Amino acid sequence: MQDFLELAVSAAASGCIYGLIALAYLLMIRPTGIINFAVGEWAMVGAFGGYLLLSKFEWPYPLGMAAVLVFMLGVGWLTERIAVRPLVERGAPLLAPILALLGMLVVFREAISVSFPPDPHPVPYALGIQHQSFFIIAVTSVVFIGVWLFFERSVAGKSFEAVAIHRRAAALMGINLSRVTALSFAGGAGAAGLAGLLVSPNVSAHYLMGVPLAIQGFTALVIGGVGRVEGALLGGLLLAFAEQLTVRYAPIPAGYAQGVPLLLLMMFLLVRPTGLLRAK
Amino acid sequence: MTSLLRWLGAALLLAGAAFLLSDYHNDVYRKLLLWVTLALSYNFLFGICGQIAFSHFAFYGIGAYSVVIFLFQFHLPFPLAILLGIALCILFALAVAIPSTRLEGFYLALATLALAQLFIVVLNEGGAVTGGPGGLANYKLPEILGTRIRGPWYTAVIVLLLLGTLAVLWRLDCSWFGRACRAVRDNPEAAAAMGVDVARTKVIAFTLTSALAGIAGMVYAFVDNTVNPPIFGLDNAFLLLFMVIVGGAGRHAGAILGAALLFLLPFVLSPLIGHHHVLVFGGLVVVAILLQPRGLVGLYDAIRRHP
Repeated sequence: MQDFLELAVSAAASGCIYGLIALAYLLMIRPTGIINFAVGEWAMVGAFGGYLLLSKFEWPYPLGMAAVLVFMLGVGWLTERIAVRPLVERGAPLLAPILALLGMLVVFREAISVSFPPDPHPVPYALGIQHQSFFIIAVTSVVFIGVWLFFERSVAGKSFEAVAIHRRAAALMGINLSRVTALSFAGGAGAAGLAGLLVSPNVSAHYLMGVPLAIQGFTALVIGGVGRVEGALLGGLLLAFAEQLTVRYAPIPAGYAQGVPLLLLMMFLLVRPTGLLRAK
Repeated sequence: MTSLLRWLGAALLLAGAAFLLSDYHNDVYRKLLLWVTLALSYNFLFGICGQIAFSHFAFYGIGAYSVVIFLFQFHLPFPLAILLGIALCILFALAVAIPSTRLEGFYLALATLALAQLFIVVLNEGGAVTGGPGGLANYKLPEILGTRIRGPWYTAVIVLLLLGTLAVLWRLDCSWFGRACRAVRDNPEAAAAMGVDVARTKVIAFTLTSALAGIAGMVYAFVDNTVNPPIFGLDNAFLLLFMVIVGGAGRHAGAILGAALLFLLPFVLSPLIGHHHVLVFGGLVVVAILLQPRGLVGLYDAIRRHP
């Protein structure tokens, strides 16, 4: 029982990480339709921000965390400015910004790999090793409650929803499309960077950590459904429990647990392509 | 008749070059030819049919690994090993492509990203069958009719592979299937209204190009006579995509140009910036999409139109 409780807490914590990455995808897909593969790389940048500020310069944790968050919002905004806005303004097909963001993914990863030595970089725990899981769960809950309130209760959030439902109609109602897009990218980078910072004490910051996170986050998004914010968290939790239970109880090598997201992804695409939660 | 002569001339020219090169340059030349082959088939999938997939290089790996494993671990006869390898590629391709067509958008990209990642995991965890992280080595191309193809003659085999791939894709591109693929890329709704089965076209294009990548992988297995996981990693999958984008997606000439440029660029850049050429490639792709979405071929067209 003790064993199972520990497993549940650790699965819930990694589920929160996947949920944050899925949220990052969702924030950008909903209003723009753009799947941004670079979210995993953003998480990696967030983790390296944590290494630099918290391990190297030894800033206090809350200050360092806030600085990383602000920095990531800037990174997201800048990415949108460089790789998305010129293409959207030109009326290029949707594929163009997605490919440009793929180029940015490589730029992010290689820029980090050039600037830091290739070995893993340690990032300190927020409150100590035994409390990290609870810290992750608490921060993720705050983020999701905040985002949910933003979409449900604020006019700005409603304008995001309007853009998601019908871009042209929203623009005709006087909603500033480019501001919504910029904000959605900044928010996506913030969520992804936070996920990277939270997961990094357990796995250490490494320049190759992005792609697995991007795959897991996306699987969580497909499980939960693209339509609702809660879906991202639900999908993340389900994926993490499936993964950890497989590693713990199934008689296969631990490396194969990386196959769980792929199998779940295929299963959901076949059986329930809209995800568990439908859009309202 | 003239077109047949043209193919023959190209084959003689490309294969003849191999006999003039030193051993080292022959090796570089072979890999260049293989990259061009892969870029051509990937261009059909991405440029002509409009699907983003990251599994092309994984299928190259599945082809290479399967032929080596069937031949030297299970000791099957050579033709059977090749057929089983192709069947395996087709099976995996169908398993990924059919669920991915269920939703609009770019679900294939993520499903194939997951597949490519899983492939590396299976290679590393495969124990004696896949050789684990060290891969498989110390095998030789089996003798065919009492002779073993080696040296420049093997380069000639790769030239045949390249021209065969190009011929297949060329014929397809000119057929109704090629036009259906372009229609699916440009406007799926209109294509469906014209009677094109969008999902089936996508699945067939994905399966076919993946099988072509698998065949190229089988040829690759005997170039270095070793297969190991790092060769088939995601980096190369991205590189392949970048080759097609920089060269000019949707055009065979673009794929050839992009593959040649991005394959040869590191040889020029290495003395200047060391091993950071991937950073340059990433920047190059962003610049290409922002400034000239039709790639180098598009640039050439623009210059020719307004000299």
